[in-house]
Amino acid sequence: MSDQEIVRLRNVSRIYRQGDQEIRALDQVDLTLRQGEFVVVAGPSGSGKTTLLNVAAGLDSPTEGRVWLKDWELGKLSRRERARLRLQEIGFIFQAFNLVPVLSAEENAEFLLLLQGLPAEERRRRVHAILKEVGLEGLESRRPAELSGGQQQRVAVARAIVAEPSLVLADEPTANLDSQTASSLLGLMEKLNRSHGTTFLFSTHDPRVMKRARRVIRMVDGRIDQDQPIEGGLQSSAAEATAESVARNE
Amino acid sequence: MKVIWNLGWRNLWRHRKRTVLTMSTIALGMALYLISLALNDGAHQQIVESVVRMGSGHVLIQQKGYHESRGVERFLEPNQHDDALQWLQESGPGMGVEHVVSRVFASGLASSADGTSGAMLIASDPGKERTASYFAERLVEGDFPEGDSAQAVVGQGIARKLALRIGDRVVLTAQAARGGELASALVRVSGVVRTGVEEFDEMLVLTPLSTASTLLQMEGGVHQVAVILNDAADSGRLADLAARAFPDLEALPWDRAHPEVVDYIRIDNAGNHIFSIVIFTLIGFLVLNTLLMSVLERSREFALLDALGVTSQQRFLMVMLEATVVAFLGAAAGLAVGYGGHLYLSIHGFHLETFMSGDITVAGVAFDPVIYSELSARRVLQTVSLVFGLALALALVPARRAAKPGEIGILGRN
Repeated sequence: MSDQEIVRLRNVSRIYRQGDQEIRALDQVDLTLRQGEFVVVAGPSGSGKTTLLNVAAGLDSPTEGRVWLKDWELGKLSRRERARLRLQEIGFIFQAFNLVPVLSAEENAEFLLLLQGLPAEERRRRVHAILKEVGLEGLESRRPAELSGGQQQRVAVARAIVAEPSLVLADEPTANLDSQTASSLLGLMEKLNRSHGTTFLFSTHDPRVMKRARRVIRMVDGRIDQDQPIEGGLQSSAAEATAESVARNE
Repeated sequence: MKVIWNLGWRNLWRHRKRTVLTMSTIALGMALYLISLALNDGAHQQIVESVVRMGSGHVLIQQKGYHESRGVERFLEPNQHDDALQWLQESGPGMGVEHVVSRVFASGLASSADGTSGAMLIASDPGKERTASYFAERLVEGDFPEGDSAQAVVGQGIARKLALRIGDRVVLTAQAARGGELASALVRVSGVVRTGVEEFDEMLVLTPLSTASTLLQMEGGVHQVAVILNDAADSGRLADLAARAFPDLEALPWDRAHPEVVDYIRIDNAGNHIFSIVIFTLIGFLVLNTLLMSVLERSREFALLDALGVTSQQRFLMVMLEATVVAFLGAAAGLAVGYGGHLYLSIHGFHLETFMSGDITVAGVAFDPVIYSELSARRVLQTVSLVFGLALALALVPARRAAKPGEIGILGRN
């Protein structure tokens, strides 16, 4: 892990209004993520996990506070510039996979590289390498509807990582997967985190994800209630205890 | 750009039936519009032809003021007549002149043993009239006069009123062009014509030019030199040239000579425009509904594309590309079907007798109940532009919807 700051939130609040009611999805949040971190944001439903990810990605704008992605302050960028920044710097993994249904596994993985305008040879090299890495060799031409949930999520991971982003945001990535598939996929993301130095930020309830985290942030009512680095790395007893504690508190 | 095109193209064929249905709607609308335009233009052209080939012409050269007054004394002197014919002979070939017919017109009386009736005398060279006008085609009995013989073709109505048969004698009485004295001439009926316009048939008497010239004491003069062209569109140009060549005379194109026909065509066109607006509005709503539906049901995908870094401009472009392809293929199919329909109707015609019986008269002329369609390149271009423009204008609504920021919450839902 290097010292380079990938994401920085300062005094960030996100307030939604429903009629006369004010809902503070994020409340005075300060957070810094550094390169190579493998971070889980945990907390009960409605605690602000997904809003935190959306604000960090520039998909949602904070009502108060400032957000930086590397050296760019998102609030000062236009919608178009934020979109270009996401294309270059952020990978997404969603609970519902969210692949483009009319594209094959290979084309889904290649999609961002095409948008980035990489030469065909470079695209082909990267896509074949990543699909091999996520274990989808031989399934390249299949469309999402022809793949299992686990395979679809592998395509989503390939798509998220193939463009070598600084940050991967994963919102409940294992919620629709069985234990074995989830474990295999988490192992894969962990490996990619280590080999590529990519920062991962998960939003999850899943103790299986939390057990692998090296930093767990617990959110309650839009605030960071607990931000705890897990010493000793993966699968340590301390990490397990933290994960279970967080899971119990939900 | 390639990736946006690729995605748009694949999206189009995701719901093949719906895409084909949308294209078919555009194609059908365009085909029907083209056919209706072609029939309309064909009908208008037939009306103009009926007018100019029933005792008139695409361009009329006559004495100044004759069009207003129709005074029998306002005729072209023989030298003026000769000059006009000479000029037309020289200029005609380059102007698409098909026929030149010199005519004399007079109002008078026609009398037979059975009575007297008002008559409208039209005199011309029978040989030229036979080929230049529709009178010969409308003969129901007998034939045109031979040469300069003292014969006449009479309208069916006047023949009925005066109980005239082929070979019967009829006395024509009219005011002479010089001096204003009444004069008479005896002619024999050589044929009976039925133009389809009852009022016309009840007065029409066609005679050789020499008969009328003697009767009206015009001594070689004529009231009008009528020019029939290959293409009515050249009328204005020829009339302008003739007016410049003969500043003392009046040279009228058909649309100035028959403003009632122009008014009818204008009113008919206006009605057709209103009908087209109604049809295209209905088709437009149908197409808009389908395009909008296809975007709304892809809300998740557009939110995903937004999240992945596809800009709003690129999403807008993608939907516009999809609409362009649908419009292009729909318009191509519509053009093929519409042009095919036009070709069929230009050969076999559209038979109005199916819907109505009896003679049809439009703006005072008999109208052939079989309409042969006419389709110009300008009309095709207009229609293609209209359909394309409409489809793309309608696509702006769903395209703007797709360009809006994605509903991010939707991505988390299963």
